[in-house]
Amino acid sequence: MRILIVLVRLAWRYLWRNHRRTIIMLGAIVLGTWAMIFMTALTRGMVDQMIADGISAIPGHVQVHGQGYLDDPSVTRSIPLSDEEFAARFADAGFSAWATRVRVPAVITSERESRGVTLLGIDPAAERDFSFVDYGAVDGRFLESPEDSGIVIGAKLADTLETRVGKRVVLMSQDPDNDIADRGFRVVGVFEANMQAFEEGFVFVGKATAQKMLRMGTATTEAVFVGDDYRNVEPVYDKVAAGVGDAVTVSRWTEVDTYLGTMLKTMDGFVLVWMIVIFLALSFGLVNTLVMAVFERVREIGLMLALGMKPAMILGQIIIESMMLLALGLLIGTALAWASIVPLEGGIDLSAVGEGMEMWGASSVLYPKLYLEDVVLANVVVLVLGFFASLSPAWRASRYEPVEAITKVG
Amino acid sequence: MNIVLRLAWRNIWRQPRRTWLTTGAMVFSNILLVFMISLQFGMYGLMINNTLQVFSGHMQVQAPGYVDDAKMRQVVDDVQPLAAHLREALGSDTVAARARAFALASSEDRTYGIAIYGVEPRHEPRVSNLPGLVEHGRYLQDDDAYEIVIGSVLARNLQVATGDELTLLGSGVDGSFAAAVVVVAGIFESGVKDIDRNIAQMPLTAFQDMFYMNGAGHQVVILAPSLADAPELQARVEALVGADDGLVVQDWDALQPGLRQAIQADMSSAFFMYGILVVLVAFSVLNTQLMSVLERTHEFGVVMALGMKPGLLGRIVLLESALMGLLGFVLGVIAGTALTAWLSVRGFTMPGMDEMAAQFNLPARIYPPVTLLSVAIGPFVVFVFTLLASVYPAWRLRRLHPVEAMRVN
Amino acid sequence: MTAVRCIDICKTYTQGDVDIKALDHLSIEIEKGEFVCLMSPSGGGKTTLLNAIGGLDIPDSGEVWVGGQRIDQMSKGELAELRLANIGFVFQAYNLIPVLTARENVEFVMQVQGVRPAERHVKSMVLLEEVGLEGLEDRLPAEMSGGQQQRVAVARAIVSRPELVLADEPTANLDSHTAADLMELFVQLNEHHQTTFVIATHDQGVMRYAKRLVRMRDGRIVDDVQQNAA
Repeated sequence: MRILIVLVRLAWRYLWRNHRRTIIMLGAIVLGTWAMIFMTALTRGMVDQMIADGISAIPGHVQVHGQGYLDDPSVTRSIPLSDEEFAARFADAGFSAWATRVRVPAVITSERESRGVTLLGIDPAAERDFSFVDYGAVDGRFLESPEDSGIVIGAKLADTLETRVGKRVVLMSQDPDNDIADRGFRVVGVFEANMQAFEEGFVFVGKATAQKMLRMGTATTEAVFVGDDYRNVEPVYDKVAAGVGDAVTVSRWTEVDTYLGTMLKTMDGFVLVWMIVIFLALSFGLVNTLVMAVFERVREIGLMLALGMKPAMILGQIIIESMMLLALGLLIGTALAWASIVPLEGGIDLSAVGEGMEMWGASSVLYPKLYLEDVVLANVVVLVLGFFASLSPAWRASRYEPVEAITKVG
Repeated sequence: MNIVLRLAWRNIWRQPRRTWLTTGAMVFSNILLVFMISLQFGMYGLMINNTLQVFSGHMQVQAPGYVDDAKMRQVVDDVQPLAAHLREALGSDTVAARARAFALASSEDRTYGIAIYGVEPRHEPRVSNLPGLVEHGRYLQDDDAYEIVIGSVLARNLQVATGDELTLLGSGVDGSFAAAVVVVAGIFESGVKDIDRNIAQMPLTAFQDMFYMNGAGHQVVILAPSLADAPELQARVEALVGADDGLVVQDWDALQPGLRQAIQADMSSAFFMYGILVVLVAFSVLNTQLMSVLERTHEFGVVMALGMKPGLLGRIVLLESALMGLLGFVLGVIAGTALTAWLSVRGFTMPGMDEMAAQFNLPARIYPPVTLLSVAIGPFVVFVFTLLASVYPAWRLRRLHPVEAMRVN
Repeated sequence: MTAVRCIDICKTYTQGDVDIKALDHLSIEIEKGEFVCLMSPSGGGKTTLLNAIGGLDIPDSGEVWVGGQRIDQMSKGELAELRLANIGFVFQAYNLIPVLTARENVEFVMQVQGVRPAERHVKSMVLLEEVGLEGLEDRLPAEMSGGQQQRVAVARAIVSRPELVLADEPTANLDSHTAADLMELFVQLNEHHQTTFVIATHDQGVMRYAKRLVRMRDGRIVDDVQQNAA
């Protein structure tokens, strides 16, 4: 401990002996740290939003379908469990939210146009918390009950169909016997969503109304369950899987939307690779700085050895010096990253490339997200790799022979 | 060899370790830049080509507003004669007419909503690679046959095979009820789920018949020999249809607005990362050169006392950086190109690439092309920043006084 | 009691193509409390002998004993311990750690030894006063003259009461007046603390302070006399 104090003081003083070099290196570390954390926060923000949007369209963290439904989303592949059975098994299971719904492909027709859409027959009360539609912000009104006879469509679709609140549209799909099932609806609400694809692709009707139109009794095609954390859906998955038995398919959201699931997985890898790349770019300068720092004080190292300092202390001194430099840079860099992210947390408007972002599956407002884990990761990456990068110059410094070092001309 | 050049060259090798470390930073960044930029350019090229060639072409002649709304009645009248006229006038056979509608397709057991394209069977294969992707059966043949090709996912969902019948149910251009029975002639597999699930093609004449189009269609698709040729070709097309009845020519950017923006969004984040890398290298060079100038203060004092001008010293310092930069450039380009060239043969892939690639019409393995631009641009910027970084150390020399300098030990 | 004993030590350096015999079958004994000057022309072997005694350099053959311990077979770590505890060094130049103040330089060895701060402080202040640097305790080496720097080095060399102080050309960079002052200080410390001093020099002015004068040439002792110091 006492040795450590001596070494720390020496290292600190040596650091500021050549303040220009230290400041330049510090600048590089600060920039690197800032870039690591800032970029990570942007990426996290984007992926979080993508996943939030994506999950709201799926929706839910865990889903139950009839067997084969995911590949063949047909009304014939409904879930062989009634709403009552679901309620009996999951009412007290402690999920944040859950619902059963009817989800089938359909064609919607106005007097002008036809489009293919996904028909969602829902219980509006059950889905309020996780729907991508903000019920309150709907032009007109949202559905009020499962028996509601109206339809709610997206703004973009309303545009294309040249329809609006109060006008009539026709939905066509198939019933379980593959007879055409169609029904006229009055448009009661028009919603706006983060993603244009949602506005074009989804229409909402009451669950009971949909069941009646599709002549499917009280069956549903989809049950959705929302847990506390989309990153860890296993507890929800296990409970649901245990509750529903083998006659149905239970899937995590990462399996339903493999693109999103992959994004989430690759993102951790990307963040780490980015940090390591930045560190490597820094490491050349770091090693260079240390080599110079050792080189210009070879005689002093010889002196310390002659005075009875052990080589390990010289090694320690150089490593401490390097760690101090890195720690200082990390501190300032992290603070700077924090200071530059906080003002942006209200969102960065990317609508200039909005449709491009949508192609990536992201919405056009980017909310940077600063996670403590990422800050810790960046700091740990730099310190740990920095430690290893310092080993070589520090080792060389500790290997000097005192006599040669002292008598070195230079 | 020029004496100044020789001096600079010797100087940088007085501290070989430091020179290698500084050059190492450049080489590292350069390899990364060459590889990343080549990969990016390659990906963008594929994204554009695949997306455009699968379906939309480089440009389309449409009714005004169709690009945004795609409404049934925003038609191009007499679409086949127009396409024939363009083929002749442009001297190109990569021109084809199309029409589009939504309909319910019913098989024995299933009914799904799909987008049906009416196409010219003889010309469609020239503007789109979908016809070439038919895995079962054959592509369309006769202009007026009531037959259809569908995607593999749709075929599975509808539980049909080639030769089976489908009932189509939709609305005609006038809003009236439109129905027909068609035979599945072929099943294509593009690998893109959305296309394989949602899209079907039938002969244009039969389509016009079924949907009461009265000879009209919605688009004339034109494929240019390459993306670079597209603007010039578009100007010619515009000259040809400009006189006609209020049609517009939409370029690929308008047809696929997400595409360019997705590339832009990706580019800006990539350039942010490259910028950081380059600046970090610049820091490294600045540090090295400043230290090398400072530790030679005494020596500089001596040569100045002997009559060397500070300006010349500054030039030597800049030349030293330039030499290091050049070394980094050459080594980085060689190593980066070697890596990229190897991958352009072997192909590049990474975990999760399948899903990512499918989102952008990309193959799961990418063969990044090596082009002069993609190889040189990154290292060139690094080189420029190397020089910029040594301006300050070189400039410091101007304030050097020989006597004071010599006193520095 | 014997402070230093060298028995038949040899050391050969290779410089270019030439082998230089820096120590050639040299033997010497130094008693505790002696004040020895090693004299030789440049390359005569005095620095090599000093380094061999201080454990900075290991002879090719022969034995080196310091304070009753044989040191030529010790490990680097053991040698470091020995120097830390038993030997003080004063070099020709670059004696001080440039980033530490005079007092911190003096305290440095004690700090590594683990002496308590209060004790360190008192000892270093007393010694700095003894070497005539009162009031300069908080200066950095760069802010002191060459003579002052050497005095700090001396204070550091004796602060932990080593049995042996080795000084290699301590006056080489000093003017004759300052050099004389430094030698006076050595003599005074030698008498006051009974510390053994071995000083290598080729400065004639230093010679007259020696109580025992050892002349060397080509790695051998050519003359070894006791004398009455000035």
